[in-house]
Amino acid sequence: MKPRIGIIPGDPGGIGPELIARLLAEDGVLGQADILLIGDRHLFEMGQAQAGLEIAMTDCDALTGDWTAIDGLALHDRETIAPEEVRLAEVTLANGRSALGNLNCALEMARDGIIDAVTFGPFNKAALIEAGLGHEDELHYMAEFLGVENYISELNTLNGIWTSRVSSHIPLKDVPDYISGHRITEAVHLIDRTLKRSGLTRPRLSVAALNPHAGDNGNFGMEEIEVITPTVETLRQQQLNIDGPWPSDTVFLKAKAGEVDGIITMYHDQGQIALKLMGFDRGVTVQGGIPFPVTTPAHGTAFDIAGTGTADVGATRAAFDIACDMVGHWDSTA
Amino acid sequence: MAPAGSSGEVTVAMATPLIPTPLILTPGDPAGIGAEITLKAHQAGEGGFAIIEDPRRLATLADRLSIDAKLRIIDTPGDISIEDDHLPVIPLEWPQAPCAGTADPRNAPTVIESVRRAATWARDGSAAAMVTNPVNKAVLQEAGFAHPGHTEFLATLSAPHDGAPAMMLACDELRVVPVTIHMALRDVPDALTGDDIVSKGMLLAESLRRDFSCANPRIAVCGLNPHAGENGQFGDEDDQVIAPAVARLQAAGIRAFGPVSADTLFHRRARETYDGVLGMYHDQVLIPIKTLDFDGGVNVTLGLDFIRTSPDHGTAFDIAGTGTAQAGSLIAALRMARLMATNRHAGS
Repeated sequence: MKPRIGIIPGDPGGIGPELIARLLAEDGVLGQADILLIGDRHLFEMGQAQAGLEIAMTDCDALTGDWTAIDGLALHDRETIAPEEVRLAEVTLANGRSALGNLNCALEMARDGIIDAVTFGPFNKAALIEAGLGHEDELHYMAEFLGVENYISELNTLNGIWTSRVSSHIPLKDVPDYISGHRITEAVHLIDRTLKRSGLTRPRLSVAALNPHAGDNGNFGMEEIEVITPTVETLRQQQLNIDGPWPSDTVFLKAKAGEVDGIITMYHDQGQIALKLMGFDRGVTVQGGIPFPVTTPAHGTAFDIAGTGTADVGATRAAFDIACDMVGHWDSTA
Repeated sequence: MAPAGSSGEVTVAMATPLIPTPLILTPGDPAGIGAEITLKAHQAGEGGFAIIEDPRRLATLADRLSIDAKLRIIDTPGDISIEDDHLPVIPLEWPQAPCAGTADPRNAPTVIESVRRAATWARDGSAAAMVTNPVNKAVLQEAGFAHPGHTEFLATLSAPHDGAPAMMLACDELRVVPVTIHMALRDVPDALTGDDIVSKGMLLAESLRRDFSCANPRIAVCGLNPHAGENGQFGDEDDQVIAPAVARLQAAGIRAFGPVSADTLFHRRARETYDGVLGMYHDQVLIPIKTLDFDGGVNVTLGLDFIRTSPDHGTAFDIAGTGTAQAGSLIAALRMARLMATNRHAGS
């Protein structure tokens, strides 16, 4: 059975609608999955116009029948924003409400088994906050919306290199006390499980150090000796394929050389600097810990080029492909 | 820096931009890989430098590594002939025969003295710049060396300079200076001061102008926190410490901007928007430069009254003597020193 992927446009004022249009026109995409477009017809049409494409969409009500049985590309049409309310390249309440409304609908459909996974175009965080996000990021919002209580963390991936992080959107000064054996263990298990769900049987994992030179034997901080090394040792004894802590200025070279699949980082910029350097336009974010695959391009709404028809679909295609792979491996690793 | 008088003897070929005077290379810890990578750099065609070393030791090592190196013993850097394919050696004697992989503190005073000699030549213009092979800090300190490393020791041999010394990491595509360096990440937020950001920023700007031919350098300043604090939501240092320091740099006429979210600053298109980056902590700038160009990264000391570069790796005691050391970073350090000296000379 093909994976059933729900696709939402993201923020109407950004490049999301254009990216979705370009994704649908990519080689093989329509055959790779059953795709359900979730959102306002005029937003998808606007994206197609921006991309210079015309793609036929068939209306359906995915809530009441088997949408995969219909001919053509299925659209679950919604009314989250009037066409004249759409403001390109602006942070507006209306844009934010539209993005959040379509996200809610997609999450409910995935929760209720109508679709298997969600891929979304970029959100604008300021617009989401205006619209009532109520959380530091969309991942925490989704977790609350779905009643998720297990560990959640954003995972980032680029060309087969994956990262998870022990701390995320917190001040750097709070990071050292936040790092604990428990949190490292959660981050390791999350990336291990997610990599298995993306198709790897025994993911090779490396843990980044917190301090420069991995603490230089305790000269530059004790967290490696006191927390990270013992935790890695325990995880290794549990048969995980894991090593570290490695100095963070060299650990990404191991990934670049194809020696590891996943890197567990201690703080936000540690992994994001390296991944964005290696491929700013191609990275994918996976919402780890949500009970079904949710993927999105790692880049933002790119207001500077919104509506100009020059958006690069690479990361969106990668996000879609990863969602499809994860659906295929999800149950066998649950 | 004044060019040495001996440069008049050099015939300048159009194809090779020659420096007025040669580079001087220190031996580093003789138990490390310094001599080996020096011979390998010479074998790879790097010239225009003299090494301070025991010539018999070099000759023996060259034999063992099957490197065809013709050594020429000279007294001062000024004696080298750039047309020559010999490796110029300024001799020293090790008190104890060096043993690969095992440092001997009795050799430490000679290691230190070689650094002092090289610095003297770099200061008086007999050498265009000094390049240092790696030393082992613990062994030097055991022998009574009172400095944390090369960089701090060299600062005591130089005229004082505000903010000095600073560490720059440079490769062809990126030049970065961290404001704080070798300390626990836990200590970084409190150690970070506006004054240090300003003085390191000034040093970076000065070096970009003098050594890298950027007439009016643009300097990107990293934020400390994720998303540069996102308007104070994830930490207040970006708004309260870094932003005012950037304003002070701007007021001093430097084209600085920031604080910028560090994760968006190092990809190819972002790198076109600046000439140098001021980072807030070690790994913030080491991650991008090593990920971008592991072998080409060179350590440059800023704030000295002479030029000093070094390969960005250690003594590698674990592989010393095995013949497997790579000379790439030393070659990059020699080339970087030459480039900086040429630019500084042309601008003076």
